Amino acid sequence: MVTTTGPVTVGSEGAPRAPRRGGRRARAPRLVPGGLRWILPGFILSVGLIYYSIIYSGYLSFFDWGGGRRPMIPAGFDNYVEAFSDPVFWTALRNTLVYFVVVFTVQVVGAVLFAAVMHSKIFLANVYKVIVVTPVFVAPAVLAPAHIEVWQTNGTVNAILDALGLDSLMQGWLGQSTTSLLVIILVGCWGSIGFGFILYYAGMAQIEPEMVEAARIDGAGNIRLLFSVVLPNLKGTTVSLAILNFITALKLFDSVWLITQGGPSHSSEFLGTMIYAETAGSSRNLGYAAALSVILLVIAVTVSVVIQLRSRERTPVVGKKAPRV
Amino acid sequence: MATSRYTKAAAAAAVMTLCLAACSSGGDAQEEGGAAAVEAAESGTVTWWGWTPDTPVAERYIEEFNKEYPDIEVTYRNFENVDFRTTLAPALDSGEGPDIFNLSPAGGSPDTWGGYALDLEPIAQDVLGDDYESAFGGGYLDQLRDSEGRLVSMPLGGMAAGFLWYNADIFEEAGAEVPTDYDSWVKACDDIAAIGKGCFTMGAGGSDTFPSEMYHSIANSVDPEWFIKAATGQAKWDDPQGIEVLQIISDMRDDGIIASNALDSTQYPLANEEFMRGDAAMVQMGFWYTQYAGAESCVAAMEAAAVSNPECFVQLPAPFPDVAGKGNGSVYFGEVDYGLAINADSPNIAAAKTFLTWMTMTKTGQQNVVNAMDLLPALQGVTPDWDAIELVDNEVQRPAIEQLMKDSTETTQSRQWQTTESALDAIILAIQQVLDPTVDRSVEDIAADMEASAEDSTVGVED
Repeated sequence: MVTTTGPVTVGSEGAPRAPRRGGRRARAPRLVPGGLRWILPGFILSVGLIYYSIIYSGYLSFFDWGGGRRPMIPAGFDNYVEAFSDPVFWTALRNTLVYFVVVFTVQVVGAVLFAAVMHSKIFLANVYKVIVVTPVFVAPAVLAPAHIEVWQTNGTVNAILDALGLDSLMQGWLGQSTTSLLVIILVGCWGSIGFGFILYYAGMAQIEPEMVEAARIDGAGNIRLLFSVVLPNLKGTTVSLAILNFITALKLFDSVWLITQGGPSHSSEFLGTMIYAETAGSSRNLGYAAALSVILLVIAVTVSVVIQLRSRERTPVVGKKAPRV
Repeated sequence: MATSRYTKAAAAAAVMTLCLAACSSGGDAQEEGGAAAVEAAESGTVTWWGWTPDTPVAERYIEEFNKEYPDIEVTYRNFENVDFRTTLAPALDSGEGPDIFNLSPAGGSPDTWGGYALDLEPIAQDVLGDDYESAFGGGYLDQLRDSEGRLVSMPLGGMAAGFLWYNADIFEEAGAEVPTDYDSWVKACDDIAAIGKGCFTMGAGGSDTFPSEMYHSIANSVDPEWFIKAATGQAKWDDPQGIEVLQIISDMRDDGIIASNALDSTQYPLANEEFMRGDAAMVQMGFWYTQYAGAESCVAAMEAAAVSNPECFVQLPAPFPDVAGKGNGSVYFGEVDYGLAINADSPNIAAAKTFLTWMTMTKTGQQNVVNAMDLLPALQGVTPDWDAIELVDNEVQRPAIEQLMKDSTETTQSRQWQTTESALDAIILAIQQVLDPTVDRSVEDIAADMEASAEDSTVGVED
């Protein structure tokens, strides 16, 4: 007769359980509060710098204040009322929405296609990867002068149009209300595809080959495979990109300020440039800038939460009979 | 127990952080009496921050100052206009600010920054006597007082605007005449275009307020009294004069005086670089541009505009053409450009006093300022030492600059002191709408918007 006395494998179905010490049930390891000491520095920084700043901005938004040691004049909700009745604010919001929709769409389409192509065998694949990813790590401050050079009245785009005999299409791209936003959007698209590509390329590598193989056996072509297997598996990436893009659009500042300063006539204004102009511009009102910042924060958090909730996986219904078909 | 201890520690740390942050943002009011009573020193260190002058000019000032005060080390830091404002406030609030900082009269700056500055009236009285105000020209001291009457900075120098600078070499090559009215301006531009050069460069994009000077000049051509009246609420921006000004700007665009790239960028760098590169024949800049008539500073300015192996051209001032054709000509407008303020919380007030006093209240210091040709002298009776100034073409430029200095010191209108920031912003917005070919609005509507959004100034207005 054989008896088992040594250690046993835990977790394998049907295997005997390990003996309990002293006949009592072993306690599960508890979360030790001692870990708090490790998060304390980060916690203090977060509370002290980030959340204090947010709370202080909220407080500031109820004052009219020119900064410095000028008196802070209580303004109640005037700054918020002013924001919502300011046509430039609505232009900035409209521009944010347009920027988000176009850049996100171009990013997803461009990045998915490029990532898909890069997962197939292609000549000089690494060269193409470097080319498409380079804009991601070049600072907007470095790129802005080049973009101005390209889009200004005497710039490259107009020179190309002229050379092609399309001189009727030549125009002051940066200096027109109808085209300045287009330039900013194109600059955004140019820089965003590489970032999307990195995420989608990595995401595609995680898809189980068996799943792809099964789809192929079932007769799926490339398009069917993309829409029925690849994209559903990359839903998390797409949602993350949507949130990141929306927050980027809300906070957009550097490329806009460096290329058009929100002009002409506020046509390429964004909330970020509005806030900066109120903070550092000639007619500064830090209270108004704070109110705009609070509005921006509320929009960013709300939209992020909504996108997250809308994109959550549906919980499978357990214990119900499947409908007869 | 442990949890409680950690929670308390975290709470205490958070409260401490909040307190520190709160304390740092406010700052204490300066102890005026104590700081003002500090005696000037002959040794020490001074830091000076400003958006102007250019660093080489400031270094020249400091070099001359050190000939008299070798034991005071002055360090100058130059900022772009906007960067200066955003850097100065936190620096002053945190106690890490400069000992001396620039302070201009425009846009309520004496009130915005004056709270950080010493009242300099006692120093001026000590140095120049009770009649110190008469030592300065152009109402400069009044422009640097805050609304409570404290003299928060001492004027380093003044400036004027409302005229053009032109490249005499381009005009000569094109066989063009310097324009005096609208038609001759169109003719000059045609002649200059024929040799492949730009005519009048202007950067009206962004939020810079430089283009407001063109608006002011045109307004003076339409009606010399109207602009200041509109700025101070005694007239409206959508009066017939205002509509005529906008119409003239629109015509200037249509007739090729204003280049099609005017909205591509701001005056700096666009217009500045086009002119300094020799790509455009004319630019509207103020007295501060006189410095680039100098043989040395011209080279530096051209190099800064990306010209390799620069060969300086002869630049000259010209009155703004009588574009309205009403015989009003051009009236210059000017004010103190900026003053030097002493940070009331500075640990180096004694040495800062010495430097500020020398720069603004001594003839030697002011002579130095005038010779740099960046500013008009703040102190009365100081004139350029022409033997110490080398121009690109002394024979041609010197009489023109002498006339410019004379005219600039006799201005009767302020440049921006009496115009609110919202009015300046409204002017810029209106100019952009007029110049933008895709904006389909009448000049009447644009002028009405100006009137609606521009606040009136009460500065310098007698009740």
